Amino acid sequence: MAMSMEPFNRLVRLVARAFYDDITMKGENQPKNGRSDNRGMAVVVLDALTRRQWVREEDLAKSLKLHSKQLRRTLRFFEEEKLVTRDHRKETAKGAKIFSAAVAAATADGKKNPREGEEKVKLHTHSYCCLDYAQIYDVVRYRIHKMKKKLKDELDSRNTIQEYICPACKRRYSALDVLQLISPTGEHFVCERCNNELIAESDKLASQEMGDGDENARRRHREYLKEMLQKIEIQLKPLIQQINRVKDLPVPEFGSLQAWEARANAAGLLNGDPGGNDPNRANQGQGYGGTPMPYLGETKVEVALSGAEVKGEEDNGADIGSPMKQLPPWMIQEGMNLTEEQRRGRGEVKSDTKIVSSSTSTYDIDEKKPNDVKEEDKSIQDEYIKAYYAAMVKRQEELKMHQKTQNELLGGDVSNVQETHPGRQVGMKAKREDDDVEWQEAAIPAVANGAPKVNDLNITASESENEDDDGVDWEEG
Amino acid sequence: MFFHMVLERNLLLHPRYFGPHLRENLVMKLMKDVEGTCSGRHGFVVAITAVDGIGKGEIREGTGFVTFPVTYQCVLFRPFKGEVLEAVVTMVNKMGFFAEAGPVQIFVSSHLIPDDMDFQTGDMPNYTTSDGSVKIQNDSEVRLKIIGTRVDAKEIFCIGTIKDNFLGVINDPNAAV
Repeated sequence: MAMSMEPFNRLVRLVARAFYDDITMKGENQPKNGRSDNRGMAVVVLDALTRRQWVREEDLAKSLKLHSKQLRRTLRFFEEEKLVTRDHRKETAKGAKIFSAAVAAATADGKKNPREGEEKVKLHTHSYCCLDYAQIYDVVRYRIHKMKKKLKDELDSRNTIQEYICPACKRRYSALDVLQLISPTGEHFVCERCNNELIAESDKLASQEMGDGDENARRRHREYLKEMLQKIEIQLKPLIQQINRVKDLPVPEFGSLQAWEARANAAGLLNGDPGGNDPNRANQGQGYGGTPMPYLGETKVEVALSGAEVKGEEDNGADIGSPMKQLPPWMIQEGMNLTEEQRRGRGEVKSDTKIVSSSTSTYDIDEKKPNDVKEEDKSIQDEYIKAYYAAMVKRQEELKMHQKTQNELLGGDVSNVQETHPGRQVGMKAKREDDDVEWQEAAIPAVANGAPKVNDLNITASESENEDDDGVDWEEG
Repeated sequence: MFFHMVLERNLLLHPRYFGPHLRENLVMKLMKDVEGTCSGRHGFVVAITAVDGIGKGEIREGTGFVTFPVTYQCVLFRPFKGEVLEAVVTMVNKMGFFAEAGPVQIFVSSHLIPDDMDFQTGDMPNYTTSDGSVKIQNDSEVRLKIIGTRVDAKEIFCIGTIKDNFLGVINDPNAAV
């Protein structure tokens, strides 16, 4: 993806130098010239952002050696100009390290510092920012279009409000006043004071009345406008060329902060040490929402890369060897190294606790508060992946049927190997495979019932839990 | 543009309306007072959709009138600069033409009418193109863009243009000559 970003990065750099090279962040206070003149900082910031993807603002301030307040003001300005997207997230220092790990993975940096131990309970708001290439492309085109349109309209005097002059008393009226000035016959407008017919200003007659002075001024103004238009053409030529080059290319898309982080962590998993991040995640503080990232990462690995299927299966093989029971929520304590089995169960239960206010585990309650959004996101992603798996299972089974017929002719071990594959892939729990598939299909008609409070997808998880648990009645309508 | 807002007003009610139908009288008075009026801040009140609540009445000293604070919801219409509207032409003269879009009057001056349209005097003055294909006269419907508004305390008046793309006559009345 870095390859396709190069023309876009060049576009961003051209835009920064064309439009933002002389803005200061000072504003109303008296700017002291010389020492505190930091025009052009915006260009530096934009250039730095072209070399990074999602970056924390504190990190950016440190690497650019800028005051974080100034940087924040600049980034806020760019956010309003729609060049940059920002995300503000409350997290502990632990969560912040996850992000650093993600950045390190994204930039293929080998250093990771999985620090275990004490978890800080305080939630600081960290701000992240990233260039929004799709919007940049549109915004720049709109800006140039508005610039040219404004000049052209003025030249054509399209949007000017007409002025009317009384020839006798030289009184000037705007077109907004004409309602009171309509003559009794309704044919023209009359002056309030002298009742003379008014003349529209752009008429030659009116301008001659006023004398040459104004005429010259008007002509000079028109010359100035034409010159401006020409200058725009010349000076913006490289930028417009770059826009044309970029027009047909696919826009680099980083997605939301969480999606990008998940992907970067998954990529890190693939490239670096697979277990490296687990201690981090297992010991996650409440601030980070406790979403089991590895689960997400590994499933993505299996789905996206065909070659990594083998790897995924190996992981699942380990699971199958010692099938763990799904831990009930009250048994989960902080700091327990949970496997997918246990975590998976926890994931489903978590979405339940959102609906029911009383929850049995303090862990879940504390999580609920700051990170509902993340849970929902994660649950939505979970649901998507589960649905995908269901589809894959079906396809595998079809393949299996197909293979079986073939193997009857060939006769061999191939079919056996094939058969075990679906078991390993689906949901990574060999035993629950059938349950998964049924659960998926049962859930889909249940969605139609509608959810009073929560996302439909979340209800899906909870309703299936109902069927399984067969006890507590979640209040739903 | 249209808005739906909650507004409040103090209504003064004469004692002759007190009685079992006090509330209906209040609502009727509200409608009579407010519907069709214009305030510079909110725009024209098109219609009252609901009466949210009527507060406790306060008797005014010296007279028997009672003041009720009434909160009500209403549909408002307020034109903005840059807005594109359809309007009906009401008057055409050589300086331009006047059109009405609901309660608001809009004036399009002749220099904001495309250059190929010329003014024709007559008993039905109009603007028409050289080949006669497009004509603007009384009761024609035109689409125009507002380029300026004048907002008084009780009045809103607009200036419009039909010189931009996609603006101009929509509908010719009775297919003239």
